[in-house]
Amino acid sequence: MAAMAHAIEVSGLSKRFGEVLAVDGLSFTVDEGRITGFLGPNGAGKTTTLRMLLGLISPTSGTATIEGSAYATLHDPTRIVGALLDGGLFHPGRSGRNHLRTMARAAGIADRRADELLELVALADAGDRRAGGYSLGMRQRLGLAAALLGDPRVLVLDEPANGLDPQGIRWLRDFLRSLAREGRAILVSSHVLAEVSQTADDVVVIAKGRSVAQAPLAEIMASSGGGMKVVGPDTGRLRELLLADGAQVSGDVDLLVRNRTGEQIGRVVAQHQLVIAELSPIGSSLEDIFFELTEASGGPS
Amino acid sequence: MIRLVGSEIFKLRTTRTFYGVTLLPLALVVIIVVVASLTAKFTGDSRDVLLQLMGITGLTQIFTLVLGILAVTSEYRHGTITPSALVVPDRIRLGLGKLGATLLVGLIYGLLSGLLVTLIGLLLVSSRNIPTEATFSHAAKLIVGGAIATALYGAVGVGIGAIIRNQVGAIVGSLIYLFLVENLVGAISGLDKIVPVYGLNGAGTALSGTGTGSTDYLAQVPGGLVLLAWAAVLLAIGLTMMRSRDVTA
Repeated sequence: MAAMAHAIEVSGLSKRFGEVLAVDGLSFTVDEGRITGFLGPNGAGKTTTLRMLLGLISPTSGTATIEGSAYATLHDPTRIVGALLDGGLFHPGRSGRNHLRTMARAAGIADRRADELLELVALADAGDRRAGGYSLGMRQRLGLAAALLGDPRVLVLDEPANGLDPQGIRWLRDFLRSLAREGRAILVSSHVLAEVSQTADDVVVIAKGRSVAQAPLAEIMASSGGGMKVVGPDTGRLRELLLADGAQVSGDVDLLVRNRTGEQIGRVVAQHQLVIAELSPIGSSLEDIFFELTEASGGPS
Repeated sequence: MIRLVGSEIFKLRTTRTFYGVTLLPLALVVIIVVVASLTAKFTGDSRDVLLQLMGITGLTQIFTLVLGILAVTSEYRHGTITPSALVVPDRIRLGLGKLGATLLVGLIYGLLSGLLVTLIGLLLVSSRNIPTEATFSHAAKLIVGGAIATALYGAVGVGIGAIIRNQVGAIVGSLIYLFLVENLVGAISGLDKIVPVYGLNGAGTALSGTGTGSTDYLAQVPGGLVLLAWAAVLLAIGLTMMRSRDVTA
């Protein structure tokens, strides 16, 4: 049975914080050897979902399992799952090397693994300095080293590219690719699509705690039909007019119109003397698909 | 569990705070002991030299309570509770690891400060030709009792830290409780026979065997059991809360 289980399986997962339903009936799976991008705007519920998956937050309902077991029941979690949350969290007065050692000792892993990992993430020279003095990029790399401590088969990375410079993002992308080639399952969250568009095999897009799309990245790219984007002060009125005319419109402020040409929209604008600032065709760029998917769920539908 | 305690001791000793919280109070205790040994009269009620001097180790005991608080709250303050809970998902075990580390460090720290005070004090006082009346068994009772009290104060700190995760709040609150609340409440007629005896201060003093003045302290063993009860109750509440609370940062 265990061999049949998905590397990660989230099923009907919900979390309520007081009045706020942060995650709402979310389900998805992640498999070995693939990088799954976990996308959504800030506040969509990504971190809460990952923390539930890692046994840090108890779900209100639903389950999240790793290789078929809840995180809390894993016998030797560091050897199965590695995680990076909030850019790695360190005591500012403790050196990077000692941070890794505190975790290694609790997990029964030899101290020299900390040295190997510092080497791997190019922090060997800074390993003995206090982590409080590390740059954002160095912290992310130390956090990645901590995630790899037990040479885990599954990696859960929350916004690992945050604070990285373009060089660092490239380094991260190559690093994740090589980890996936080794057969690991990687779930990587981001609110910036470009970061994962060149790395991910599959994407799960969420907005307001709900899944709005999940498919292989290539499939999502292909299925996007483009459309017209309208920006400006009178888009609210334009939206009503277009909807009344049977058009498919998504977005509240910046509109995305699916089944009207630029000229058709222009005529409506002229006829009703509306002011708009931009009217442009949308290619099938991932950014636009992302915008469309996450904005659409915010509408009154 | 042994590797967990080892990891927690390693966490403690890899920050500067640890040395500040342990070595500075110890240095202060030594200085006070030196000054007292060289100047105090040790006559009348204060004839028991060792008992008078060992009372000074109350300072290191209080700082061990602070160390216990820090062992838990610094994880929440810096967010390291997240990586810690990832390695040890059972947060009760994580808390017990902290308890073990704090007890061990407290015991060693208590023994060290007790031995230092005894040796320095007796040496200096007898150099003034004042009779110390110290016997080995009297010294041993004070040192061992003091060391166990130090360790238990550390355990109390772990419990408090697990209940009040805010570092400053937990430390300031504990100190206000110890130095203000117990003394004020203990002055109320009717409670004046209970709080000074069974309170955190009184139980610790009883276990340490350093009680002086008019308070009718418990003997060392019952005093120790009362302090143990304090630690057990606070830890039971704290660890239960630690397990049920979400780790959000």
